[in-house]
Amino acid sequence: MNRLRVVRNGQCRFFVRRVLIGVCALWLSASVAALARGAAPALKANQPFSIRATHVVGLPNTKNNCKGTLSAQDNVLRFRQSGKAVAQVDIASVRKVSLGEESMQIGGLPMKIGKAVAPFGGGRVVSLFAHKKYDTLTLEYIDSDGGVHGAIFQVTKGQGELVRNELVARGASSSSGEDQATKQSTSEVTHDDK
Amino acid sequence: MTTSKPNWIFCVAASVTIAVAFSGRLAGQTAAVGSSLGSSGSGTEWSVQVERIDPGQLDLAHSFQVAIYENLLDELNKTKQFKQVLREGDSKASDLPNLLILKTTVVKYTRGSETQRAVTTVSGATKLTVQSQLLTRDGKIVLDRTVQGNVRFFGSNLRATHNLARNIAKVIKQSAWPGSERLARNSPANSDRGRHTSPAF
Repeated sequence: MNRLRVVRNGQCRFFVRRVLIGVCALWLSASVAALARGAAPALKANQPFSIRATHVVGLPNTKNNCKGTLSAQDNVLRFRQSGKAVAQVDIASVRKVSLGEESMQIGGLPMKIGKAVAPFGGGRVVSLFAHKKYDTLTLEYIDSDGGVHGAIFQVTKGQGELVRNELVARGASSSSGEDQATKQSTSEVTHDDK
Repeated sequence: MTTSKPNWIFCVAASVTIAVAFSGRLAGQTAAVGSSLGSSGSGTEWSVQVERIDPGQLDLAHSFQVAIYENLLDELNKTKQFKQVLREGDSKASDLPNLLILKTTVVKYTRGSETQRAVTTVSGATKLTVQSQLLTRDGKIVLDRTVQGNVRFFGSNLRATHNLARNIAKVIKQSAWPGSERLARNSPANSDRGRHTSPAF
């Protein structure tokens, strides 16, 4: 009986020791991960980044609603189409970056036609599911004459924030209250101070 | 038989020559009328400076404000109503003698949904109503209109901004304000071609 108790006490001590080691290892790995996370933006700050984006409106010499690549290098934000830079903006001249969220129907014109000709209102059912959320990245910048420009890009959901953070890290100023405005529910808001 | 063929050719050639000559003369007249409207219209060619969109008390997304502003610049350029269309803050504006300022304030905004439009057809429209004012440098209002832009069936929500900008440009083009084409056509000054009218404001 006593022998059994001694064996149990030994197992218990061994178990406690293992738990302590496990907790220490967990704490150590968590702190290392936190340090790495904190250090990551500093490392990425000067690295070029590039994401796929759709130019909605605003950039000079660029067609509206055209797809391309948005990249930042050497404090210049470039929009490229098939490898050629079609427009570029000095990040230092960006005075407002805001992020929004929109939902759009996917499939384009062929899908629209398909939905229109689908019998028994099948197209409407398809529309319920055939939509995709994306981020809208809105920039406001100043040209060499002092004129205010605006540019809007659509990027994959989640990437907008990364781009905004990247631009802010490179010297652009950001606005924080825009996200709420874009996420408001469908309701009519009126302003009658005429 | 041999003499009739050259006569026929001569007649055709003469009629073609007359037709070409008259069409050229008519085109010249049209061009002259057009240029006279453009140059003397109200006497002066005006430029416009577009100010950024004022959201008023509304929570209008920044992307909508920017989209209206950029589309408005595009549409005003397309109308060819103004000598120059300048952006807010453009330093060139200070050098221009005849400058109007376009102020746009959002009065009403209904946020729609593209999915709702696609599913129901009748609901989910995005509606924008703005008050557009053309002002002189000293703040005198030349034109004051309330304009709407909607997207009801097809297209993304941002398409409402394009429709709105097109409607504003159309209203400015079609309204009679000193300097507009419409007033230029109707004004008695145009009957007197040589007279160069001074701006009314």
